[in-house]
Amino acid sequence: MASSRKGFRLDRLGGVIAVLIGLALFAAPFATYRANRIVSGEPRMLLDALPPGLASGVLAAALAVAVMAATLRAAPVRLAAAGLGFAAVAPAMGMAALFLTPEGNTFARVSPAFGFWLLMLAFGLLVADSLTRLRLGPWGRLAALGVAAAFVALLLLSGAWSGLSIIKEYAARSDSFWREAGQHLLLALGSLSAALLVGLPTGLLCHRLPRLRSGTLQVLNVVQTVPSIALFGILMVPLGYLAATVPLAAALGIRGIGAAPALVALFLYSLLPIVANTVVGLGQVPAAVVEAARGMGLSPRQRLLQVELPLALPVILAGVRIVLVQNLGLATVAALIGGGGFGTFVFQGIGQTAIDLVLLGAIPTVALAFAAAVVLDAAIELANGTSHD
Amino acid sequence: MIEIERLTKRYGNSTVVDGVTMRVEEGSIAVVVGTSGAGKSTLLRMINRLIEPTSGRVLIDGQDTMSVPEDELRHRIGYVIQGYGLFPHRTVAENIATVPRLLGWNRKRIADRVEELLDLYQLDPAEFANKYPHELSGGQQQRVGVARALAARPALLLMDEPFGALDPVIRAKAQDDLLAIQRRLGTTIVLVTHDMEEAFHLGDRIAVMDQARLLQYAPPAELLTRPAEAFVERLVGSAERPFRLLSLSTVRDATEPGPASGEPIEASANLREALSRLVWCGRDALPVAGADGAVMGRVSIDGILRFGRPSR
Repeated sequence: MASSRKGFRLDRLGGVIAVLIGLALFAAPFATYRANRIVSGEPRMLLDALPPGLASGVLAAALAVAVMAATLRAAPVRLAAAGLGFAAVAPAMGMAALFLTPEGNTFARVSPAFGFWLLMLAFGLLVADSLTRLRLGPWGRLAALGVAAAFVALLLLSGAWSGLSIIKEYAARSDSFWREAGQHLLLALGSLSAALLVGLPTGLLCHRLPRLRSGTLQVLNVVQTVPSIALFGILMVPLGYLAATVPLAAALGIRGIGAAPALVALFLYSLLPIVANTVVGLGQVPAAVVEAARGMGLSPRQRLLQVELPLALPVILAGVRIVLVQNLGLATVAALIGGGGFGTFVFQGIGQTAIDLVLLGAIPTVALAFAAAVVLDAAIELANGTSHD
Repeated sequence: MIEIERLTKRYGNSTVVDGVTMRVEEGSIAVVVGTSGAGKSTLLRMINRLIEPTSGRVLIDGQDTMSVPEDELRHRIGYVIQGYGLFPHRTVAENIATVPRLLGWNRKRIADRVEELLDLYQLDPAEFANKYPHELSGGQQQRVGVARALAARPALLLMDEPFGALDPVIRAKAQDDLLAIQRRLGTTIVLVTHDMEEAFHLGDRIAVMDQARLLQYAPPAELLTRPAEAFVERLVGSAERPFRLLSLSTVRDATEPGPASGEPIEASANLREALSRLVWCGRDALPVAGADGAVMGRVSIDGILRFGRPSR
């Protein structure tokens, strides 16, 4: 490929993106067709997956994005190009599903193939790159997340994707999907809340009493190294015993399997980041600031609430971010011990060799973790905005 | 008035402040000097009970500080430290409003007071009220630090190396500002420093501390002419003594009748400045001008030098 021509320079990342788009369009299948949901599929190239007119339109749009990515350097233009790519390719996937499925056939399944994912990756890279170049502030990034979420919601609600295999899996179990979604959030957010309730005071105590610090952090560190499945297993025994001997515990729904051990395990994993970041955050509050606060007669409580915690907030929020992203992912494993959550679909799908069902559990998990990361990063930056020295 | 009586602080076997007794008159400035580790800061911090004394007591206007809850005591005493400790997450106005807010002043009264203090410190409220500390220069931060300490009109202001972080030019200006504001408000000030120049410039009385003990507590001139111990003499600097003494008297004190030629010198200038002017311009005498600009006599080298000796 020519590296430079008169009048303009080739953008390096843009070049890579253009190559990715080219590969996706001409060397990889766009969709996979399967006669039913568990047999292996047959690949379909873009030009075979859509009616000829539509196919060439999508092809032209994707090629235009590739050219713009490689040659144009203005960030807003590149962002618009990526938007064009998504707007052309994402609905086209839904059309491909309708086009490839024989009339009246309810067993056939059409799912996105490697080429489609490669296109999404290329456009996603272009978006990430242009957002970085635009140096969006926290509110800008939240808005970008909102636009992306609205775009996906529109595709889902309008029925544009209703022919896709993963949506068919969803349609077959929409009740349990939302129940497991609620359960997943309950596991991740419940364990986070409990960890905050316990971890913040513990962190504060470790900050005030340095003798406690290293011991506490070491214990939590050890907990952190226990693999999740092993920790679930370890917790089954004491919780099962508790349920069997204390009627109140059983009445509260505490059992050796189910949500209780999952919540406890996620809570234990959450403690280290919360406690450690609280200690670090409080520790970096300048000594002169604390001294001045004491000298002006702020009570210990006022010092904590008005000075120390606000100044430690960005670091504590960084701990919350770690915990939330980690727990949204780890909560998937809870399904193995009957804890519910999106993991239910993943493990059912693996059991049935139904990859679409696996994706029905995996994609929302990834999307949730990604959204949580963006939201908390923005919150950290906002908290930082008024407290840097 | 502050009365410090046999104030002592021990940590285990080491004594940090050893039986210090001193009295600071209403509306005066007492400067505590000494080498580092002499116990100056500890003494200061026992006045607002940031450190609890081992024994002895502090009376403020006759009231034992131990009889007041410590937070309440500190609301009534301004406190300025080196580095100022401004709250980085709060604006200048919010920083200054700290103690008034703790005291539950209403919004209007707080806003008025903040504006008054910013004006007093020549910081335009429209420009500075909503800035954050990191947007200020060192000198501006220092002024906000003092304004914050004065916000609730404390009768007593404690300052621990308040100018230590400033460069020499800004420091001199900040010292002059402090003097002017102190004269205007009549605040009693106890100030800790290790800068002798600063001590002589600001102090109505100077307390010299060494190894936990108060060696001498006297007006600046007495410290120079009658040092109580060899350490005091060393600290005030034998070579600097005459010049320090000169800086304590004004041209007005040395004005004599008679004519002189040259640019008149102001009567309010100190004799050290006057001598320096005379040496630099190579004259024996200069005319002296009063505050109204009228010549009121002259000041001569011989006349000045008499003030640089103890036996005048």
